[in-house]
Amino acid sequence: MPLQIHSEPPPEPEEVAPRMKEAIESALPGASADVRAVSPGHFEIEVVSEDFAGLSRVKQQQRVYGAIADFMSGDAPPVHAVDRLVTRTS
Amino acid sequence: MELDPGTRERIDRLVGSDRVVLFMKGRRDAPQCGFSATVCRILDQILPEYTTVDVLADPEIREGVKAYASWPTIPQLYVGGEFVGGCDIVKEMYAERELHRALGVEAEAGEPPRIHVSEEAAEALRPLAEAQEPGRDLHLSIDARFRNSLYFGPGEEGDLRVESRGVAIFVDPLTARRADGLSIEVVETPEGPGFKIDNPNAPRVEPLTAPELEAWLDAGESFELLDVRTPEERATAHIPGARLLDEADRERLEGLARDVTLVFHCHHGGRSQKAAEHFAALGFRRVYNLVGGIDAWSREVDPSVPRY
Repeated sequence: MPLQIHSEPPPEPEEVAPRMKEAIESALPGASADVRAVSPGHFEIEVVSEDFAGLSRVKQQQRVYGAIADFMSGDAPPVHAVDRLVTRTS
Repeated sequence: MELDPGTRERIDRLVGSDRVVLFMKGRRDAPQCGFSATVCRILDQILPEYTTVDVLADPEIREGVKAYASWPTIPQLYVGGEFVGGCDIVKEMYAERELHRALGVEAEAGEPPRIHVSEEAAEALRPLAEAQEPGRDLHLSIDARFRNSLYFGPGEEGDLRVESRGVAIFVDPLTARRADGLSIEVVETPEGPGFKIDNPNAPRVEPLTAPELEAWLDAGESFELLDVRTPEERATAHIPGARLLDEADRERLEGLARDVTLVFHCHHGGRSQKAAEHFAALGFRRVYNLVGGIDAWSREVDPSVPRY
């Protein structure tokens, strides 16, 4: 059996966090996101957006999860779990 | 992440298949993950019946439902076709009694229930209560399917305190409304003495014999007689006046007043017992099962109904 060599090493959490921040901020114009890697695959996210006003907590979180869905799907997603997600309007 | 239209349609159908639908890992009676188990335990406190979908049995649904709800984790709860949330949100809504309102269940505490502890049970419970750490009290919890648990543990805000023979028992508001008139006794079991809880509010299915059913029909008693067999079996033999319980009829029955008398029958009494228990759990108070089914009817009442 030939030795399997991955073409790319799995991304370091420190590399993923800024890409997630970018994805959230481009999907939610005007929002500011703070993404911290807690441990490999585990992240904490805090998002502030005036557009959250009037939305239920679930709807606010759905906006954020929708923005980072690509990071969390597939066979070996770079994001295994969001340990903490806080959404605020200010 | 794009959701395949076929998958979306399947999930639409599942979400619309019941008022309360939970996508979970494992089944309601055997959850395969702690978060799914927590949500089941909470729903069990409030509702006797709800629909669960085991995502472990279906990879397409397991991935699809995440994109469907823009929610990356399982379990996922839907009520009336709307996504409600995952485990954390359900727990929070339960603690704040928001979930009860969303599910249309009265959450406010009423009167404390009357609970009767027998002298023997009180003698067994008092020393146990005294041996507990501060803050750990005796609690009684009855879920929506009337399964009881009696345990020492911390309480929650809104619990009601009941005392009988010097034994203090704490119940949550939902249990309070299911526990009035309940008694706790000590009984001998093969494993030694144990507590027995007798709850007059628990749904019961009463047996009805074929001659008793005949007498009710002759007397013109008002009740629903439901045949839970297949249309093929019904074509072979049927009891005059019995309706075949199909999907449309099930919905009609579920909308009836809970004091309507329901009588179920099948071939030998097994399937109809299950159906009767389902309706008893929904709150129907007069539910009967024809003992021995249509076979007993043929043997004991009307030999002209063919046996098969």
